[in-house]
Amino acid sequence: MLARVLTPTGRGHPAWLAKLICGVLAIALLGHAIAALAADEEVVMIANPQLAIDAIPRDTARAIFAMRQRTTPNGEAIHVMVLPDDHPVHARFAKGLLDVYPHQLRLAWDRMVFSGTGQAPERVASQAEMLQQVATTPGGLGYIERGYLDDSVQVLPLAE
Amino acid sequence: MTVSRSCRWQNSFRVRGSLAALAGLACQPALAADVMDTLQVHGFISQAWLISDDNDFFGPSSESGGSYQYTELGANLSFRPHPDVLVAAQVLSRRTGGGASDLQPVLDHGVIDYEWLSNNERRLGVQLGRFKNPFGFYNQTRDVAFTRPSILLPQSIYFERTRSLALASDGLSIYGEEYLDSGTLRLQAGVGNPQADRDLDDALGLGGRPGSFDGETSYIGQLLYEHEAGHVTAALSAADVEADYRNGDPGPGNGTFHFQPWVLSLQYTDELWSLTAEYALRRIALEGFSDPRGNFDINGESWYLQYTRRFQDDWQWLLRYDVLTNDRDDPSGTRFETAGAGPAYTRYAKDLTTGIQWRLHPQVLLAAEYHAIEGTGWLPASDSDASPEKYWNLFLMQASFRF
Repeated sequence: MLARVLTPTGRGHPAWLAKLICGVLAIALLGHAIAALAADEEVVMIANPQLAIDAIPRDTARAIFAMRQRTTPNGEAIHVMVLPDDHPVHARFAKGLLDVYPHQLRLAWDRMVFSGTGQAPERVASQAEMLQQVATTPGGLGYIERGYLDDSVQVLPLAE
Repeated sequence: MTVSRSCRWQNSFRVRGSLAALAGLACQPALAADVMDTLQVHGFISQAWLISDDNDFFGPSSESGGSYQYTELGANLSFRPHPDVLVAAQVLSRRTGGGASDLQPVLDHGVIDYEWLSNNERRLGVQLGRFKNPFGFYNQTRDVAFTRPSILLPQSIYFERTRSLALASDGLSIYGEEYLDSGTLRLQAGVGNPQADRDLDDALGLGGRPGSFDGETSYIGQLLYEHEAGHVTAALSAADVEADYRNGDPGPGNGTFHFQPWVLSLQYTDELWSLTAEYALRRIALEGFSDPRGNFDINGESWYLQYTRRFQDDWQWLLRYDVLTNDRDDPSGTRFETAGAGPAYTRYAKDLTTGIQWRLHPQVLLAAEYHAIEGTGWLPASDSDASPEKYWNLFLMQASFRF
């Protein structure tokens, strides 16, 4: 249909030009769609809107999700939420944002829980539940794909 | 409402420690509900079956039906009465070849943990109560199957013989963590009284004698460095543990037991595999007994090299070589044998282990492993008969559940 619009019948434009333009447009559109999809799938850290916290360094994020650091720098309690160990978004968050493997996080939590040095994070079943729990739990901190975001939570970037 | 907000006034009392924070429980009725929100209960249960061709380990493993006498049960509870305070306790019930009465639960740890500093650069805190000794990579959770790479930890370092001394201490421990550009540095140092159970009497040949051991003031510390995100971890642990033998008259008399181990630990972790090595030097001394034959002062040495490979998400395969030398001055035990004290191979152990773990569910772990062993250096004193075999094979299977 696009090709027909671009090449009105009876005019002098050669058909190959129309096909080329059409192809380029299609690729551009597809590329845009893929980029949008990729942006939707990007995993971001989210926090309860009441939690007074800015961009945090990766080390701090790692210490928080490893359940070693349990308060914000200004002393507010953090309530960490995680997806199940085998959830693909959990693996992408751990490896991509924290630079640790899920099995390392699991071992760190188990070691703390069973040695009296810390507590386990709260597990949520899905990204929809993650969003809802972080939005409604004081000190809530978690992660989701950008596509699940709404304004009930704040996005917490990593400090460069 | 967060706990910290409802109880802000407490901040001025923070330096007074955890008791002030605990007293803060009463500051607002709403807080009780918040504290209940932080309550966590976890536990585990593991049951193993062992069979060996010779030498009993954890029950009658060398008999035709093998042994089921290796059971571990634990349950813990923790909560935060204040964001900076953690209260945690765990009871442990463990049977390793003894009677069913060994399953009687004991307090594994029970601490009030107060963290007085936590920011983007560092954190500092203190634990008061019965704290788990930081010793090597595995000691603090050595009885929890889910935190072990194998059913049996490398026995050269995590042996049963004087296990009670290594477990936990009643006292005070401080911990600190520094976030550096290249990684994280952690320090834990504690002072307290260790447990000294019957295993120590048996290991030192004092089982059935009139006296018993009591833990005395002891020290333990660990410095651990995690490079970048923990792909490389290195740790140095040291302890100076003392126990006094009392009421030994009439009989061996009174004396003092010293246990001074150093452990160097190294681990490289990749997504699909890990390489782990630990090396320990350990002074064990018994002194003060009127009969000089009861006294000794020896340095033992242990090391192991372990490769673990993860595959199919839920599976892990392990290969390990583990060596124990009871006395560095007599590694082959020949002097011991020449002196008529017993077979040379009771003074060392070389254990080649391969094992497999399958997490068929996040809460269920199944494991099997095989040990080809030369020597009986770490065979628990209570299990060894008069003439153990030099070469023996041990096969174990274990099922574990946790919540």
